[in-house]
Amino acid sequence: MGLSAQHNKAGAVLPPRRLARAGRGEARAGFLFALPWMVGLTIFTIVPLLLTFYIAQTKFQIVGPPKYVGFANYEAMWTDPAVWTSAGNTMFFAAVSVPIKLVMALGLALLLNRIAALSGFYRTVFYLPFLMPAVAGSIVFMLLLTPDAGPVNIALEALGFNPPDWLLDPKAALWTIILLSLWPLGVETLVFLGGLQNIPKDVSEAADLDSPRGWHKLLWITIPMISPMILFNLVIGIIYSFQIFTQALVVGGTTGKPAEATLMYVVVLYRTAFRYFNVGYAAAMATVLFVGVLLLTLLIFRTARSWVHYEGESR
Amino acid sequence: MSTMTYATPKPLSRRSFLQSTAAAGAALTLPSAAWAQAEGQLLVWLPGGSDMFCKIHTGLLESFSAKAALGSATTVCGLGQDAEFTQALIGSITAGNPPDISMLWDSPVSLGAQGAFMPLDDMMKGSKIPIETWPAGLLSSCQFKGVTYGLPVTAGVYSMWYNEELFEAKGIPSDRASFPKTWTELRKLSKEFTEWDGDTLKVAGFMPNRVAETMAIWSALNGGMLFDEANLKYVLDSEQNIEMMNFFVDWFDEEYKGDVNLIDRSSNFRDGYPDANTGMGPAFREGRQAGMQSGSWLMGDIYADPVPVFTRWNLAPNPYGPSGTASVSGTWPNWFVIPVGSKNAQAAFDYLSYLAVEGSVDWYQQIPDVPTNSQVKLKAPTGLVEKRGQEFADDLTAFLGTQAEIVTPMWNSPVQSFGNDQVARAIEKIYTKAQSVKEALAEAQAASQAELERVLAG
Repeated sequence: MGLSAQHNKAGAVLPPRRLARAGRGEARAGFLFALPWMVGLTIFTIVPLLLTFYIAQTKFQIVGPPKYVGFANYEAMWTDPAVWTSAGNTMFFAAVSVPIKLVMALGLALLLNRIAALSGFYRTVFYLPFLMPAVAGSIVFMLLLTPDAGPVNIALEALGFNPPDWLLDPKAALWTIILLSLWPLGVETLVFLGGLQNIPKDVSEAADLDSPRGWHKLLWITIPMISPMILFNLVIGIIYSFQIFTQALVVGGTTGKPAEATLMYVVVLYRTAFRYFNVGYAAAMATVLFVGVLLLTLLIFRTARSWVHYEGESR
Repeated sequence: MSTMTYATPKPLSRRSFLQSTAAAGAALTLPSAAWAQAEGQLLVWLPGGSDMFCKIHTGLLESFSAKAALGSATTVCGLGQDAEFTQALIGSITAGNPPDISMLWDSPVSLGAQGAFMPLDDMMKGSKIPIETWPAGLLSSCQFKGVTYGLPVTAGVYSMWYNEELFEAKGIPSDRASFPKTWTELRKLSKEFTEWDGDTLKVAGFMPNRVAETMAIWSALNGGMLFDEANLKYVLDSEQNIEMMNFFVDWFDEEYKGDVNLIDRSSNFRDGYPDANTGMGPAFREGRQAGMQSGSWLMGDIYADPVPVFTRWNLAPNPYGPSGTASVSGTWPNWFVIPVGSKNAQAAFDYLSYLAVEGSVDWYQQIPDVPTNSQVKLKAPTGLVEKRGQEFADDLTAFLGTQAEIVTPMWNSPVQSFGNDQVARAIEKIYTKAQSVKEALAEAQAASQAELERVLAG
């Protein structure tokens, strides 16, 4: 093959000018096909993001034009007890719910990976809760957890326990929200299951020969082999947990009942924008959340170099 | 040498595809222009409410439309309650396509002060509903710095509800005149009824208030207020309010074991409706509560599910506190506003005049929201006449009329929702013992005042 011509996949040779023209045509077609997505991304993501940064520096009450106030909204956040309370609740929620969810999803995936019969059925069953709207799921849980008449407390009392006031007691309410968030595990489980099924059989068999103890294999073979999936579920879990909204709003309303125990950061953001119509302040809260989650995600990616192993990677 | 052939998809070229996409997009946007509000029509928006509520208002608009010979008139019901409805309304105002007139279930002061609603003062001059025909306490819920941004056409009037049969079973006089006049008397009476079975509250007398929306009434009953409209200042941690909350907490600790959870897991003792979250109660209709404070709208719902286990109930004036001197009442009005950008502002105001004087009579007969304009001649609600007889219904209507005359100013802050949330937060912190009365009210005061100053800063 000469320098002035190249083979296509079928072995055909195109002259350079035609190749260049075809390449430009391909590029144009590619660009046109990507254009709707790029327009959508620009209009619905990039522009709103930039607008949020701008609005965060204004006093904007929806009705009437925004007025530039510099960093006044950020300064006000420092002294706002609702921001600190909700940020504390949200961080606690993220710190507790994400690890529990990962462990439960991994456990479920390990079980599903061993089941041969009806595996499709079980996967569907575990994925179904994810398809239920969060509002409906939360209401069902609220009815189940009703203090006196709820089936959960009736069952616990029958077994001799002294059940908590799940959603009435400020000490129990946040844990109840965490419990609610653990219910739809389907996506994380399927991601782990995909990783488990990609572990080469020879590696797995070799591990079985080397050590009869199951947990050795889990710790030294399985977990390292699915570490990219753990990273993925961890990052997505963190992002979602910092944005918890629906369950918290349904359970605690905009005031985080009882006694602000369920008051989450995004609920405060929502009520600031759409109940108090203080959109500038809400935009500042959104900006802080964006930067916070971004930094946390970058930190996770930075540490991931030491614990995530990719196939074919050498160190 | 092999040859290369390029497939030529003739049926639709990229250019044709893009052209047809653009045409389809344009076609899809056209109907939105058709939905835009036009002149010569009257579009009325209502927040949530029952089917009956929507039917009544559709009928009222039809009657007015026929009288005024309007081209067309439409009532849009069920756009969501509270925040959802307000969001939809603001969205339509900022988009330049608002309804001509809208009902609100939240004070119009906040959004009116920001320029969302038309000032009505000029239109009211020389109209059928001049400013002097409205009770001042009620009108203040629509006014900011002397400008009127809406009208409280009807209002649920708050008073004390009590179960006459429970009173009589204990040998306590059940007539209105004998009802306690002060909080101390009410607290003493309450003890007569309250019964515990272990940690379950079987029957309650009266409860110290835990509802944020009505705290302004209780504050006024103790000679205080939550928001000083004249000086544009919150006074949540005033001496009267601290005294009020201390009185409530003391009462609560003595009679109700100082534990809100024990009460809330026993039934709904807060109002006359089933609890929205747990479905429990209401204890009052279950015959497990001697009385409570509630709005007059309950008269329209009390015989619905769950049907009360008793027949005879009555209303009495709100008792006053240690620093109070007389009974006052409060309201939760049905406000009407004309949004900025209304295409038919004059027709909307004419409808408002009709509703305030003629329409509210029919409205009250079907749903007992009390008409507030002084020119209205009230007729007793038909449902109540059927259940309790003409004499009782007339007596109650007259009583509500007198209560509407002693309404304390409330719903009058330009940061009403924010202030209300702060009061709700303080109440929860106080009753769950998370904070002392002084601390909780001081925090609520500081936050509300800061928000007020931020909004007033322009």
